[in-house]
Amino acid sequence: MTFEPKILAFTCNWCAYAAADLAGTARMQYPTNIRVVRVMCSGMVHPNLVMEAFQHGADGVLVMGCHPGECHYQDGNVKARARMIVVDQMIESLGLAPERFRLFWCSSAEADRFVSAVSEMTDRVRRLGPSPYHQGVGLSGETKEDLECASR
Amino acid sequence: MRLTVAAEWLNSCAGCEMSLLNMGEDFIACLRILSFVHMPMLIDHKYFEPMGEKIGFEFPEADLGIISGGIRNEEHLAIAEEMRRKCRVIVAMGTCATHGGIPALINMFSNDELFRRYYRTTVATDAADTPAVVVPPLLDRTYALDEKIRVDVHLPGCPPHPDHISAVLTALMNGEQPRLPTKSVCDTCPARREGKGAVQKMRRYTRNPRHQADKPLTEMKCLLENGLLCMGPVTRAGCAGEKGEAPQCIRARVPCRGCYGPVQKNGNQLLDMLNALASNGIDIRSLPDRQAFLRFSGAHGRLNRPGWKTRDRQQEETAAPESR
Repeated sequence: MTFEPKILAFTCNWCAYAAADLAGTARMQYPTNIRVVRVMCSGMVHPNLVMEAFQHGADGVLVMGCHPGECHYQDGNVKARARMIVVDQMIESLGLAPERFRLFWCSSAEADRFVSAVSEMTDRVRRLGPSPYHQGVGLSGETKEDLECASR
Repeated sequence: MRLTVAAEWLNSCAGCEMSLLNMGEDFIACLRILSFVHMPMLIDHKYFEPMGEKIGFEFPEADLGIISGGIRNEEHLAIAEEMRRKCRVIVAMGTCATHGGIPALINMFSNDELFRRYYRTTVATDAADTPAVVVPPLLDRTYALDEKIRVDVHLPGCPPHPDHISAVLTALMNGEQPRLPTKSVCDTCPARREGKGAVQKMRRYTRNPRHQADKPLTEMKCLLENGLLCMGPVTRAGCAGEKGEAPQCIRARVPCRGCYGPVQKNGNQLLDMLNALASNGIDIRSLPDRQAFLRFSGAHGRLNRPGWKTRDRQQEETAAPESR
């Protein structure tokens, strides 16, 4: 059985979520590995939320917002970009590959862009294999205890 | 009815016990109800027979167990487990016990590095082998108490303010859940805040902030807004005590160092501080000495050796040559 990753996506209400909606109404095909969480703005996603998703076993996390300059709230996505640098810096302290996280812009009309981002992320994470936190079971030397303690 | 208390100190410095004695008149009031049955720090009750007839240790049973310090070696671990068996309620006293504290900074280094550094690289003494007898074997890193045993009450602080030690003891004597501060240091800080956005870069505390020492603290500009790295936003309040005028470091007009640990029990001071700075337009890649944000809360796997890797990284490295 091939490994099917679980990917969590935080999508902003005004662009990325609308793009996902459009992809749906246009009957575009994309992997079912993604779980979408609608947020009002990508700028409201605290790095803690991303880290927590990883600690609870997400194999990949996407944060999606409007293109720079097109934010419904003027500069929410600029804030998101600044905040997500924190995730880039912290992800290795969890022992995870930085490729498991991506910040992505797409407008409400770009359903194709949404679909390709999701497909690409799914491929990438599938190649990386399950996250060590997947179902709370360590795959290598680290014990379950180690992981629980790193994720506390 | 008298309550019996057993107190132990593990990987710690005795500062918490000093704070306990600093409770003043409250301590005398407590002693009417509490009776200390075991406390190696203050009472002459040792575990080992001097010439080694007994190998193990025997603790008396107690209603309340107070443990300061984290767990670093096998003796600490055995003592902590014995305390858990003999005490009905365990209080983790001090930041070492709740979050690892200063000693958890060693989690950035391996035991081999530690011994090499300590026994074989100092200039002034001859090199020696790593001790193999008498010293209890070290664990692989410093642990907070609740990583190894169940803890009922967490009382952070370096040391915890006597007011809060008193509050915990009083609450437990009355059979209540202790109430401790839940806000951040900033929430209790009187310094003058003018708003976000003016500062682009943070600097280390090497020069004094601009202030006039004769003016009250309410006229001092917030130290973060002065561009100084102050841990106030991500540190739990409490160092000022119940009636204190201001957090203790702020009162000395230096930035908060974060000694009470994260605001929420499971918070991460490093992550929260980076987020706070990044959200305010400060380039976090320019920050010196980032690990120091975990100066007091490095246990729970927060601080790791730089080469710490899980399978994810190893897998990627072995996979990389093929994909190229």
